[in-house]
Amino acid sequence: MLCERCKKNEATVFYRETVNGKERSLSLCADCAGEAKKKGEIEDLFEKENFFGSGFFEDAFSGADKLLGSLFGIRELPGRTKEKVKKCPLCGATFSDLVNSGKAGCPECYATFSEELSPTISRIHGTTSHVGGAPAAYKKDREKKEKIKALEAELKSAVKDEEYEKAAKLRDELRAARAEGSETK
Amino acid sequence: MKWYETKGRDSDVFVSSRIRLARNLKDYPFGERLDETSRREIVGKVRGVFEGDPGYTFTDFSSLPENERAAAAEENKVSPEFARSSKTRGVVESSDGVVSVMILEEDHVRIQSILPGLALEEAYDRADSADSALDSKLNIAYDDKLGYLTHCPTNLGTGMRASVMMFLPGTVAAGGIRSLANQLGKIGLTVRGMSGEGSAADGCLFQISNQVTLGVTEKETISKLADVTGKIAEQERTFRKKLLDADKDGVSDRVMRAYGTMLYAVMIDTKELLRLYSDVRLGVCLGVIDCVSVEKLDGILIRSMPAMLMKAHGGKMTAHERDRARAEGIRKILSGSDKE
Repeated sequence: MLCERCKKNEATVFYRETVNGKERSLSLCADCAGEAKKKGEIEDLFEKENFFGSGFFEDAFSGADKLLGSLFGIRELPGRTKEKVKKCPLCGATFSDLVNSGKAGCPECYATFSEELSPTISRIHGTTSHVGGAPAAYKKDREKKEKIKALEAELKSAVKDEEYEKAAKLRDELRAARAEGSETK
Repeated sequence: MKWYETKGRDSDVFVSSRIRLARNLKDYPFGERLDETSRREIVGKVRGVFEGDPGYTFTDFSSLPENERAAAAEENKVSPEFARSSKTRGVVESSDGVVSVMILEEDHVRIQSILPGLALEEAYDRADSADSALDSKLNIAYDDKLGYLTHCPTNLGTGMRASVMMFLPGTVAAGGIRSLANQLGKIGLTVRGMSGEGSAADGCLFQISNQVTLGVTEKETISKLADVTGKIAEQERTFRKKLLDADKDGVSDRVMRAYGTMLYAVMIDTKELLRLYSDVRLGVCLGVIDCVSVEKLDGILIRSMPAMLMKAHGGKMTAHERDRARAEGIRKILSGSDKE
């Protein structure tokens, strides 16, 4: 991706801010980003030794641009009202609160800032998908989904192999599986 | 039952096995965002889950004196961070002392179970049953994609830390700890020295635990940790044998001198205690000395920690008083001891 300002160099800095609910994003090369920073168009992110702060934009930087690694983040620009920034509906935390503390404000923060947090989570764990245990209520739901998924796959292959008798049986099972639990709700 | 006075499996190398599960209630913020009313509500709710179950008792942890809170951490019942704060918080403990549910640690709930020796699966089963009780009555913060939602993103997923405390004097003597730590880091495990006073090398005690909690199941995490630490244990036994083969008199002399100090010293500080513990424990494991058991030594170590001494004493003590009480306590335990 080329820098949207000079349209010559590769973009290595990706800046995004949300003001009054409007999102603005910039994809810049290191030189243009430096210029933009000087002009106050984009703001520094305080360098913090925590999970969200340090190296948050690591992926976007090549090694040579390490100097810029701590420069940018998603923070409100000076002079603009803070309360217009996206806030978690349960605890009121902003993304910069999360960045500064290195921790989520409440369980809901993970949904509110899911997009922003995804790279960090991936960097810590190497993945963003849970495969382990779940509370009983969720477990039932997940088992149901898994069963449906497996039946759908079986049905597909039965149709493909023209085993219509088997497919009919699977279709009934699938119908039953989908209905399971839903009538009680 | 005290985990540190009970014989466990492969106790020559494994001191204890521990599982910790981080859980949170869906509708409450984390940590500093919690006000006092919410804190009390959470303590009440979690306490309520175990109320009526005679297998568990609740303690209002914030009402305990500082010494007792610190002693609970030294016994590994609660985490040191949990013990330090005097904010509203509580602990639900199983009557056999294996499970402790910390309410309002970093997460709303931390379920911990600890057993002597290598017993990760058993420890997990115990923690899991407390966890099931919790999620049958409370709304636990969970997401299909991210798993259990936790204050710190490093615990997302299973929210589980499995760890074993290993006794590695052979590996220390062979200079292998650093390379061990490096290797473990590459496969998602971490090694830490024993917490508390004195450096890890003094007691040759190292805690090895999983780092990653997302994208792996509880079972996988536990079996990987058991596999890897099993190999470390094999290596440790080889190192010990080499040590003994190379200088039997030297090793025996060190062991017996340490034991003699335990029997007759008037003052012992924590740093010295760790060294004595390590030397004598190695001697027992190598068969150099047979008048004391490994679990008795583990008991001595825990009971000689500063806050444990002050708890037994019933109040604050100076370092000098502690050193004297420590030596006296060790003598008492050893004199009432013979082979079991």
